[in-house]
Amino acid sequence: MTKRVVTGNYAAAWAAMVSKVQVVAAYPITPQTFIVEHISEFVNDGMMDAQFIEVESEHTAMSATVSASAAGARAFTATSSQGLALMHEILFTASGLRVPPVMAVVNRTLSAPLNIWCEHSDIMASRDSGWLIMFCENNQEVHDMVIQGFKIAEDKRVQLPFAVNLDAFILSHSVEPVDLAEKGPVEEYLGNYIPKSSVLDPKNPMAIGHAAPPDYMSETRWQLHDALEKSREVVLEVNKSFAEKFGRDYKGLIEEYRTEDADVVLMTVGTVTGTAREVVDSYREQGKKVGLIKLRYLRPYPKEELRKAVSKVKAFGVYDRAVAFGISGPQFIEARNALYGLNTPLVNFIAGLGGRDVTTGDVGKMFDALLDVAKTGKAKKEVVWIGTRGVSEW
Amino acid sequence: MAAQALASAAFEEGGYAVAFPFFGSERRGAPVLAFTRIDKKPIRIKTQVYEPDFIVILDEGLIDSIDVAAGLKKGGMAIVNTTRKPEEIDFGVDLRVATVDATGVALEVLKRPVTNSAILGAVAKATGIVSMKGIEKGIINIFGGRLGEKVGLINAKAAQAAYDKTIIGESKSSGKAKKKGTAKWLPTAQEMLPGAAIGIQDTPAGKIGMGSMSENKTGSWKVFQPKYDKETCTMCLTCWWACPEGCIYRTKDKLEFDMSYCKGCGICANECPVDAIEMARGDGQ
Repeated sequence: MTKRVVTGNYAAAWAAMVSKVQVVAAYPITPQTFIVEHISEFVNDGMMDAQFIEVESEHTAMSATVSASAAGARAFTATSSQGLALMHEILFTASGLRVPPVMAVVNRTLSAPLNIWCEHSDIMASRDSGWLIMFCENNQEVHDMVIQGFKIAEDKRVQLPFAVNLDAFILSHSVEPVDLAEKGPVEEYLGNYIPKSSVLDPKNPMAIGHAAPPDYMSETRWQLHDALEKSREVVLEVNKSFAEKFGRDYKGLIEEYRTEDADVVLMTVGTVTGTAREVVDSYREQGKKVGLIKLRYLRPYPKEELRKAVSKVKAFGVYDRAVAFGISGPQFIEARNALYGLNTPLVNFIAGLGGRDVTTGDVGKMFDALLDVAKTGKAKKEVVWIGTRGVSEW
Repeated sequence: MAAQALASAAFEEGGYAVAFPFFGSERRGAPVLAFTRIDKKPIRIKTQVYEPDFIVILDEGLIDSIDVAAGLKKGGMAIVNTTRKPEEIDFGVDLRVATVDATGVALEVLKRPVTNSAILGAVAKATGIVSMKGIEKGIINIFGGRLGEKVGLINAKAAQAAYDKTIIGESKSSGKAKKKGTAKWLPTAQEMLPGAAIGIQDTPAGKIGMGSMSENKTGSWKVFQPKYDKETCTMCLTCWWACPEGCIYRTKDKLEFDMSYCKGCGICANECPVDAIEMARGDGQ
């Protein structure tokens, strides 16, 4: 293991290399560009024995990735915002064909107006594509989750594509120390990709991606849904085996931080989590009983974990870095659905859109609002926009 | 890359460090922000830095256009790329200041006005948080890692040269520092046209509203500026046609250059048939 100061983009590229990825098909898009640039350098320098396919669009990048995966190769790609939107059609093909590539998604804003900075509007619009979707807090997690991604995605019980999300610029272009795994231990851990069912093998011919009339579709959809539900146990198993092998434990679908005896809990996603940890610590020093849940997986959704954690608190907040226009933030829709029937008051906080910095003060406002709810027992507002000029907050 | 190299230097010396940039969609030369946090323990916070211990200013022209010392902690220090001495700079507040002519060093060592490696030598000397040896390693890691070993080594050399030339002192506020440029117009949701459309409207940023060039003086991007010799000029207007920024104006008997938007590209000097324009290092303002 070598520890170096690297960007999130480099960490993702390195992890793809040590995971012995065999095919990378990509089209460069800011700020993902560096991931595929690093990979092309690894291939060029002989550090990575992979086929690097330059394609003419993200639509083709995903098509080639799915095809490589269907041909039995371990495949990787990376994208961002408009690129992910252009892939949208093929995202469903990937999960529908039950192939397990891993993709790094550098989360940034979907236009218009044109904005290259961090937002989750891209991945949240891909929510129902049948992929496993998880968010990272730091560059180490990006590196580790690309490796875990292959382990989980390729499991016989899963056989689904895996998206590792990293916040644009805040991780993609930030350097921090990362333990970069060596090829040996990762090879031992992952082994080679052996397709479990869908594979185009001349020795064992099969047709995939053919027409399936109404007689067959419902069952196919149920299979996919069932596999995503069952991927929960695989996520937990892999989290455990990875911790044993590499010494880093991410706790599973969610991570709770100082939630024991907490009156109010805020659920964060992505890099805001790191900032919120600082705020929790300083509020705790002031005797305020606040806690934090880091949502790691959007799919599979940690329904039971959340219900258990939230049933103990007086107010629960959900942070969103995107908007489900006309209702709330998309994470809030998810959380409220999972928490249906519990009496805990819920508040949605929207902040950090289009790359606006989410400061400790912003997170403080979220906790202050939740503490207010805990005192009165009632949320006076359901959706709160933080730091939006001309829009009242709490 | 300078912020990254500084982080790498701190890491090489046993600390934890995080560095990240914030930039717009402009090209090379446009003002950018970059932040580095250095600590003895792992760094979890992911926000920009609002209360720095040190500010590093690569373009001294910015001192007059924005309040660069805003948020600087008490006892904090400014490190400036300038040909001036610390006591000759007016921040509008009293400050500890280190100065170095990083542009001069870069032109000498790298043969181009890329100052971000050289300035790190001044950072090492002024802050004492990282050693010059650490900076060397950081530059070789980041610049060398990205652009090749040779580039790493020569940039480390530039940093060493800047280290040797750095002057540490203090600057006092004269009480008459230049007025900072107009604050950026940040409209409310109600004040903006739907979809952030830019129309013709009366706003504090002028007729054009958000992103107005009246707030974005691209003249600060330049290192070289045109020096115009009225006597040699034949008023042929070749330069006027050639200027990509439309910065050259014709008056009755001479040309005028709008330095607020001149990026110092030198096309005018190159095109002038009678050599009435030459490019020279300006004062960065």
